[in-house]
Amino acid sequence: MFHWLEKHPFFFAVGVFVVIAFAGLVEILPNFAQASRPVIGTAPYSTLELAGRHVYIKNSCNACHSQLVRPFKSETDRYGHYSLSGEYAYDRPFLWGSKRTGPDLWRVGNYRTTDWHENHMKNPASVVPGSVMPAYKWMFSNKADINTAFAEQLTVAQYFSVPYNQSVPMKDGTTKVVKMGGSVAEANAIALEEAKIIAADMKDQDVKDTVARGEIPEIVALIAYLNSLK
Amino acid sequence: MNKLYLWGIIIIAVMLGATYLSVGGSKGGLNGDIVNMLAVAGAVSLVIITVFVVVKYVRQMQVDSASGELLKDNWDGIGEYKNEVPTGWAVMFLLTMVWGMWYFVIGYPVNAYSQIGEYNEDVAVHNSKFETKYKDITGEKLVEMGESVFLAECKVCHGISADGIDGAAANLNKRIDEKSVKHVIEKGSNNKLLGMEMPMPDRNGLLNANTGALITDAEIETVSKFVANKMSGAGADIFAGTCAACHGEDGKGLDSVAPSIATYTPTLVSNVLTHGKKGVIGVMPKFDRLNDKQKEAVGAYITSLNK
Amino acid sequence: MVNRPLEYDYTIAKMFMLTTIVLGIVGMLIGVILAFQLAFPGVNTIFGQGLAEYTNFSRLRPLHTDAVIFGFTLSGVFATWYYVGQRVLKVSMAESALLMFLGKLHFWLYLVVVVAVVVSLFAGVTTSKEYAEFEWPIDIGVVVVWVLFGMSIFGLIGIRREKSLYISVWYYIATFLGIAMLYLFNNMEIPTMLGTSAAGESGIGAWYHSVSMYSGTNDALVQWWYGHNAVAFGFTVPIVAMIYYFLPKESGQAIYSYKLSLLSFWGLMFVYLWAGGHHLLYSTVPDWMQTMGSIFSVILILPSWGSAINMLLTMKGEWQQVAASPLIKFMILASTFYMFSTLEGPIQAIKSVNAIAHFTDWIVGHVHDGVLGWVGFMIMAALFHMAPRVFKREIYSKSLMVAQFWIQTLGVVLYFTSMWIAGITQGMMWRAHDEFGNLAYSFIDTVTVLHPYYVIRGVGGLLYLVGFLMFAYNIYKTMSARPVEDHELQNASPMGA
Ligand code: HEC
Ligand code: HEC
Ligand code: HEC
Ligand code: HEM
Ligand code: HEM
Ligand SMILES: [Ca+2]
Ligand SMILES: [Ca+2]
Ligand SMILES: [Cu+2]
Repeated sequence: MFHWLEKHPFFFAVGVFVVIAFAGLVEILPNFAQASRPVIGTAPYSTLELAGRHVYIKNSCNACHSQLVRPFKSETDRYGHYSLSGEYAYDRPFLWGSKRTGPDLWRVGNYRTTDWHENHMKNPASVVPGSVMPAYKWMFSNKADINTAFAEQLTVAQYFSVPYNQSVPMKDGTTKVVKMGGSVAEANAIALEEAKIIAADMKDQDVKDTVARGEIPEIVALIAYLNSLK
Repeated sequence: MNKLYLWGIIIIAVMLGATYLSVGGSKGGLNGDIVNMLAVAGAVSLVIITVFVVVKYVRQMQVDSASGELLKDNWDGIGEYKNEVPTGWAVMFLLTMVWGMWYFVIGYPVNAYSQIGEYNEDVAVHNSKFETKYKDITGEKLVEMGESVFLAECKVCHGISADGIDGAAANLNKRIDEKSVKHVIEKGSNNKLLGMEMPMPDRNGLLNANTGALITDAEIETVSKFVANKMSGAGADIFAGTCAACHGEDGKGLDSVAPSIATYTPTLVSNVLTHGKKGVIGVMPKFDRLNDKQKEAVGAYITSLNK
Repeated sequence: MVNRPLEYDYTIAKMFMLTTIVLGIVGMLIGVILAFQLAFPGVNTIFGQGLAEYTNFSRLRPLHTDAVIFGFTLSGVFATWYYVGQRVLKVSMAESALLMFLGKLHFWLYLVVVVAVVVSLFAGVTTSKEYAEFEWPIDIGVVVVWVLFGMSIFGLIGIRREKSLYISVWYYIATFLGIAMLYLFNNMEIPTMLGTSAAGESGIGAWYHSVSMYSGTNDALVQWWYGHNAVAFGFTVPIVAMIYYFLPKESGQAIYSYKLSLLSFWGLMFVYLWAGGHHLLYSTVPDWMQTMGSIFSVILILPSWGSAINMLLTMKGEWQQVAASPLIKFMILASTFYMFSTLEGPIQAIKSVNAIAHFTDWIVGHVHDGVLGWVGFMIMAALFHMAPRVFKREIYSKSLMVAQFWIQTLGVVLYFTSMWIAGITQGMMWRAHDEFGNLAYSFIDTVTVLHPYYVIRGVGGLLYLVGFLMFAYNIYKTMSARPVEDHELQNASPMGA
């Protein structure tokens, strides 16, 4: 049979395709519906957080940082509760990473704070001697792209029914509504409100001034995102 | 002995040496941890198997010669022998496939493995070992344990020597600095340092009994220096008149009224770890993931720094 | 059979040889920079604080992986296809004006996509998915390039004289089909400019930005189904295609066993696709799927080793050739490293071992003993073999080749041993608890301990790069070396001193 296939390229190719496609179906399909259901306490990202997530991706922080706490005592001691599938329901793309040159960040919002991130992102080695993380100084002057974050919110709300402007259940029994603007201007205003809260805890005067002027530096968005990881 | 075998043995020896170094170098070492042992065993067998098999075939290059019947086809001068597949390979292939089927269809379901179940067991074992062994440790041992927690969890903010890294976080070698005292007097504070809602009033609620008036800028200046200076120097009178009512004559605090501002106490540290703290230096996150014993220990350690 | 040798047309093979070399240098140079950035973080600003945004570790890392995978390796695959394809199908590109045209289009569009990728990654435009970083406009370019590659393969097959497909062609076909399927599914994404606000605005924000069709755990599943098999169909399948042609051709030996080729090929095709789960061990993917990934990874050893063993046995009794020819040495060592990494991978895929190995440098070590020792060596060997034939000149210098071989071998050994130690050390330190039951090390302790190993890795990488530059120089000089006659080119490649 194989000899025959080797003389009939078309059937050969079909044969190869069937053999390789088969596994994909079994591997991927069964889990699909189940894994995308959010667990209680998981809310969509706000506009500013999403813009921060884009900063994270733009700078490939995922090259060094994972966002997946494995169920080992040593990891839950270090990072907190192990990851649950539903917690990632609004993560597009997922950012689990495959290398921990730096620590896991999936729950970093629980044990690091705005002012610490500010110092650290500006110069990691000054806060943590021996750190090999690059200093991200330009994030203090580059502006965050709020419009693209807003466009993404609109897209996921439209195509994947991500619950913006709807109440989502929280762990303590309350509910939470993540606001999405009705227009570009409104979206920017919402993001700015959030940015002001972050900037108030920061020390860099340029950043504070920029936010006061109504613009949002990348670092502010990034910290909003990092603080949201809990 | 054939040079090839010698090389094989040298390579294996070097790799084993490297493994030994890496295990030793990791300080933690194998630690009786089954995962560690399996990883090392894996690494070792990887080298041995590869070297062994490759040497076997290279030997054949040296001593054997090509033979067999050629296929009729020929591509750009390349022929193919009709030789049978090597038996060892074929047997291993079959065995792994049978094993795979068996494992997936029978072995795995019967074992009823779940990674979360495994985790829960691990944690239970760990906790019971920990609890019985260290439930009652006190004194030096407790401080030592606290130091180990501090170095694993806190030093990224407070620095290895707990000096707060140039003001990035609180300097834990002394109770409090002037800037913080001043800030608290001016703005008040509500960080659940006593473990409950119990605010310190701001300057509009701080009456100096000696003068009968609200605390003044100059007095704030002086008393802040006094407190930050380990409760010594000028300003004792202001302190006695304004603060002692709540913080006690010696500044060591009064139960359920105000915390100690002269020294750290394990309870104070424990409360900070439970509730977090926001002050003029910045924000200290709360540390839910530490258990009570760990909080107590790190409290003892920080208290010991101020002796 | 007509005995007059066909005049094969190597125009396109030559073009892709050029990009193989240039992108190889670029990609590996960036790799060396990355290695030294981890050893000495000051290197992040070595091009000045102003450029640090573009030259720091995290911005450069995807550029390294994409340059070596989609630049160096893929160019090598294309170059060898446009060489091997004609010869084993016994048909010249020159016989079809259409195929020539498609081939050239293939090359030039490929170049356009490469430029777009470089620009976009420097600018930080990425989707974050490993080995699938490109945003949708580039994805479209990739698909077009790939379709052209497919047309070239099947076009040439369509007009072939040799009725039966040689083993290498099986592997090239599989490469084409595999990557096509994987790439399409993993890159399903929706451009965000399609979102419309309540106020009716649309086309908001960056036009090239998109959002993945899958979320969270599902996204991870698709990504590593892709990621694992991108390795399979990029770093394994087409490289096996190369060795099945170049080793027997260069040595003049017949393939040891047709049956072994057959079983290895179909075994590999079937087993590989199931193993992707080993990238997601202890994640939130269901247990049974992880277990499946582990099991199939172990089974995968055999079809992988089958090809390597077939190659080693092809050289049975030919030790004098191995000893005499640096070109054959490259290929024998490549097979060895192939065996090494396809045993290392399955070992790392065992759940308990992965508990340590995952997230550490041991994985990076595994990657590089595969890519440097197997992929890199094999592609260079292929180009060395092709050069005298496409330029009709002898290889410029054999002694340079020998020196290169030893320098690079040392480089690879330094690379993977240091990463091996670094990874296991770090993995164990992460897990360690002290006598009080607390974590024994803070994260940074597990970073500073790696410094010496990062330095050694940097040196190893540098040696490999130096060797690659020697290779590039040797090929360059070959173009003006002593001309040779066709009959000298049957098997062993002619080499100058
Ligand atoms: C070259 C690798 C590398 C890159 C790239 C990198 N980091 Fe890090 N990161 C580290 C290392 C190593 C540490 C641990 C030492 C330290 O705290 O600096 C760390 C620590 C951190 C921490 C502290 C987490 C903790 O638990 O202490 C945060 C937050 C962080 N990084 C965020 C980022 C962000 C955001 C980016 C991208 C903009 C980034 N990192 C890029 C290596 C990196
Ligand atoms: C009415 C009672 C009261 C008076 C009077 C008072 N304090 Fe306090 N003080 C508190 C309480 C309660 C807290 C704890 C607040 C918290 O939990 O954040 C506190 C906290 C503090 C702290 C913060 C400790 C830390 O670690 O952040 C300082 C410093 C302090 N007091 C200094 C003073 C000084 C100096 C005076 C006098 C000028 C004074 N207090 C007067 C009740 C008082
Ligand atoms: C993310 C950074 C961060 C981490 C991690 C951190 N701290 Fe803090 N900590 C701070 C900052 C900032 C302050 C100062 C808050 C203020 O008063 O402005 C502080 C204050 C404190 C205080 C109160 C000091 C005072 O005089 O009132 C104690 C006690 C303390 N930390 C202990 C710890 C311990 C113990 C750990 C580890 C288990 C720890 N901290 C981890 C940032 C941190
Ligand atoms: C039998 C064959 C193989 C198996 C079973 C295998 C298995 C694995 C495993 C278990 C990992 C680590 C996943 C993790 O924990 O992060 C991995 C990573 C990797 N392997 Fe292999 N491997 C094999 C062969 C190869 C070969 C031959 C190459 C290249 C030439 C290769 C390239 C890679 C790459 C690039 C990664 C890194 C993926 C990432 O970015 O995380 N593998 N492999
Ligand atoms: C000069 C030689 C090279 C050096 C010094 C080098 C260095 C590096 C470094 C430092 C990293 C990042 C590791 C980390 O994040 O910790 C890396 C990643 C990687 N390199 Fe290389 N590299 C070299 C050549 C190559 C070649 C030739 C290939 C492929 C053909 C390659 C493929 C990869 C891949 C796939 C990764 C990602 C691994 C992962 O994510 O697990 N490298 N390399
Ligand atoms: Ca990776
Ligand atoms: Ca894409
Ligand atoms: Cu894989």
